Amino acid sequence: MRKYGKLLYNWSDGNIEESLIFNDDAQLGDIPYDVAIVGAGVVGSALAYKLSKYKLKILLLDKNYDVGEGTSKGNSAIIHTGFDAPVDTLESELVTKASMEWPELAKKLKIPFEVCGALVVAIDEEQEKQLEKVYAKGLKNGVTDIKILSSEEAKKLEPNITDDVLGGILIPRESIADPFATSIAFSEVSLSNGVDIILGVEITAVENPDEKTKTLVTDCGNRITTKIIVNVGGLGSEKLAKLYNGEQFDTNPRRGQFLIFDKFSRPAINHILLPIPTVTTKGVLVVPTIFGNLIAGPTAEDYSHDNKLVADTTTEQLQLLLEGASKLYPKLKEQPVISIFSGVRSNCSQGSYWIRCNDNHPGILTVAGIRSTGFTSSPSLAQHLIDELHDKIGLNLEVNHEAIDSRSEDKWPGWWKRRYDDEKFVKENPEYGKVVCYCEQITRGDVIQHLDSPLKPRTLDSIKRRTRAQMGRCQGFDCMVNIAEIISDHCEVPLDKISKRGPGSEIAQSLTSNYSDEAKNELN
Amino acid sequence: MNSTKHFSVVIIGAGPAGVGAALKLYKSGIKSIAIIERNDKIGGIPSFYKRKKGGVRTFMRWSRGGYPVFGQDYAAWLGKQILKTDVEVKLESQVLEIDAKGKMLTFVNSKEGKVNLSADAIIRACGSREETPAERKWIAGARPVKVFFTKQILNLVDRNNLLPMKKPLIIGSDIIAYAAAAKLKAAGASDSTIVDNRTSPKAPFYERLYFRFWGNPQYRGFDVKSLEITGVKSATGVNLNGTHIDCDGIVICGELIPNSELALIGNLKVNIPSRIPVINKNYQLSESGWFAAGNILGGFHGAEWCYYDGKKVADYVLKYISKS
Ligand SMILES: Cc1cc2nc3c(=O)[nH]c(=O)nc-3n(C[C@H](O)[C@H](O)[C@H](O)COP(=O)(O)OP(=O)(O)OC[C@H]3O[C@@H](n4cnc5c(N)ncnc54)[C@H](O)[C@@H]3O)c2cc1C
Ligand SMILES: Cc1cc2nc3c(=O)[nH]c(=O)nc-3n(C[C@H](O)[C@H](O)[C@H](O)COP(=O)(O)OP(=O)(O)OC[C@H]3O[C@@H](n4cnc5c(N)ncnc54)[C@H](O)[C@@H]3O)c2cc1C
Repeated sequence: MRKYGKLLYNWSDGNIEESLIFNDDAQLGDIPYDVAIVGAGVVGSALAYKLSKYKLKILLLDKNYDVGEGTSKGNSAIIHTGFDAPVDTLESELVTKASMEWPELAKKLKIPFEVCGALVVAIDEEQEKQLEKVYAKGLKNGVTDIKILSSEEAKKLEPNITDDVLGGILIPRESIADPFATSIAFSEVSLSNGVDIILGVEITAVENPDEKTKTLVTDCGNRITTKIIVNVGGLGSEKLAKLYNGEQFDTNPRRGQFLIFDKFSRPAINHILLPIPTVTTKGVLVVPTIFGNLIAGPTAEDYSHDNKLVADTTTEQLQLLLEGASKLYPKLKEQPVISIFSGVRSNCSQGSYWIRCNDNHPGILTVAGIRSTGFTSSPSLAQHLIDELHDKIGLNLEVNHEAIDSRSEDKWPGWWKRRYDDEKFVKENPEYGKVVCYCEQITRGDVIQHLDSPLKPRTLDSIKRRTRAQMGRCQGFDCMVNIAEIISDHCEVPLDKISKRGPGSEIAQSLTSNYSDEAKNELN
Repeated sequence: MNSTKHFSVVIIGAGPAGVGAALKLYKSGIKSIAIIERNDKIGGIPSFYKRKKGGVRTFMRWSRGGYPVFGQDYAAWLGKQILKTDVEVKLESQVLEIDAKGKMLTFVNSKEGKVNLSADAIIRACGSREETPAERKWIAGARPVKVFFTKQILNLVDRNNLLPMKKPLIIGSDIIAYAAAAKLKAAGASDSTIVDNRTSPKAPFYERLYFRFWGNPQYRGFDVKSLEITGVKSATGVNLNGTHIDCDGIVICGELIPNSELALIGNLKVNIPSRIPVINKNYQLSESGWFAAGNILGGFHGAEWCYYDGKKVADYVLKYISKS
């Protein structure tokens, strides 16, 4: 029998079912972990997934109340081929490798995925000259199926792009996928293979980093012992590395804002549209999403970790963004924007993919600067990290033949495979006929299915990322409270304890006063 | 899927407009009418404004001399009128898509699964919602909890007796905003601060006057192009021209935008970005046999206006049916 891992939340009484509450180190047993992974972003979850097929005692933890709630939730969601990656780097190698792995991986893990292709668009003579260079770089990166297009060919492929197009490059295998489902799928399989997962705990101290058994201390004073620590803390990796005095590196947040357009804008564009990249950035893209929208972005705005005033989005930058993206697809300006969001990259001054094994201490692996391609590279990066752990730290890799590496058919999200399209489903479970999110047409059945799923998501945002409820054009106008009510009913947690992202983000404060149900109907 | 059932008229939406149209058609002798409504009650937006002792009546019955009632009671009255007829009402049934040329639609509910209907004429009485921050173009900043729309406030305060905030800040200044400020005050919050990017409130003086009974919200007009929401986990205020206004919750109120998604999916013409359907002088949409009534036609209209608008559109539908 396969043994499930423990799933625990650092939540106080009454906010979640008692069986899920982490309140005592003893819940983890007294044998130290072989590997503790700090950070359950896409990289940490992928590592847990790939490590979980070995006979090891593994812990995956994060300070957030869901996996993949850091940088991994706010990106362009492109599975890159690596055609424009810096040549001869680990990043290029891992991205190229991962792009081959993705189609099969997505099928196994039930991650919505589509090969839509990308088109680099040159709109002035300067840029046209660059096409050859971009093409040559692609070939060097091993992306041999790319093609240079004339302006006519580009226009034929994408009739709605700018008339200023002078030429382009087609990259047929650039793809799009569901970024949320990815961290979730990795983590769910890990859990089934026995990995323990704790959410809502921040590591604030590391004790005895030089000993065989090290101790991670959490913000609530919990102590977790482990032989190996992997720091995949994304934006938090530098702060975390300082706790154990790893080799010095410097990071800063680099914000990327996006505009999301309504679904009926999507048919106008079939490929990812990219400008000619400059030295500093890939520029502003127009990207069809797997969910059926178009997005434009990202910006690249650097600031420092200490700057607490930086908001998620600013109207000024969004305006510039729209100007930029309209250069590729002029009619974009007329399309209705339904929402805006941003993601923050962790930019490392010492270079991307900054990986240190036995980082000033035996048994500590630091992974930083997974800045712009970590969503794509996560599976191959995870494999690379396992090789490092094995070769340099001596981690013993004995295969567990009972481990699984896929999720079952019923894991396809409801928005991707509509349950009500099959009469049988609604007959068996009428909840699949009750639409609660009108814009994305998500049913009560979909929400409940996710509440019962292995990671037991309990926040509004975690349900949003799984079901798409609240992500449509009305942004929760109609369904937010209804979804909160479903969580409250199904999990028997009072409605005022339902939160957006965990403690401190509850939706209500108190009961109403001077206000009651006693009034009589005066209208007959 | 079941086979396609045919009706003379199908109405999407059982709000005031849809009900008004159904009643008029029924009384004019049309016997096969269906209303498809996704909510679990008849009544549309009014049904979310519950009757509360100490609460705020926001629905005016102009036809009865302009006396104010609770939305719930108005919705119940609409429901009662419909029950007297044999109009077929499908509740908790969401119309998923339409076939504009074929005059057909598909809805889903928990009892029947997916169902196809066809009709001689179809009325879209789908109402409207409030614009999102992105749609207003000048609201940006953080994305904490406690940034609500009015409908969410209704569902928390009226349906669940929960107070989401004690020191509200309201963005938008039309009548819905002033009604929301009054409701929050009645339910136990302090007076709201109301902000909008215009020098004076959008709601005219006499409308604001009505809500003075419940409190005295402070208006802060401004003329910047950008307002930023602040707060990491929970909303703490907004930044306006370098000034921070504190609050412990935000409501984004009013500025209605039509529920036009079915038309957009089904290729009926819609004005963008207003999302107002393109209609001719006979209230017909861009395909023959399709009509629209009520708040889906844009602007802000009270419930009773929409009820009579539904009746008016029913007349055009009758003419259309008799001709074809
Ligand atoms: C605007 C933008 C666009 C992008 N577009 C793409 C794209 O199209 N394709 C692509 O492949 N990549 C893209 N990326 C890059 C990709 O999103 C990242 O490389 C990837 O998400 C990094 O994953 P991660 O797991 O390293 O980091 P994260 O997802 O940030 O995970 C780190 C986790 O560690 C946790 N953590 C940190 N410190 C602690 C601590 N002390 N205790 C407990 N937990 C801690 C955090 O809470 C966080 O959840 C984009 C990124 C941005 C910002
Ligand atoms: C937040 C808000 C607050 C308001 N407050 C007031 C107020 O206090 N006083 C006042 O007089 N007016 C108020 N109004 C105006 C209100 O819209 C009108 O009073 C009136 O309800 C409009 O009637 P209607 O029939 O056009 O639309 P609605 O009342 O909105 O009814 C439309 C109906 O169509 C249904 N529907 C839509 N699409 C579908 C679909 N695809 N499938 C199935 N069913 C569908 C909806 O569920 C809804 O029940 C408010 C409006 C909003 C949005």
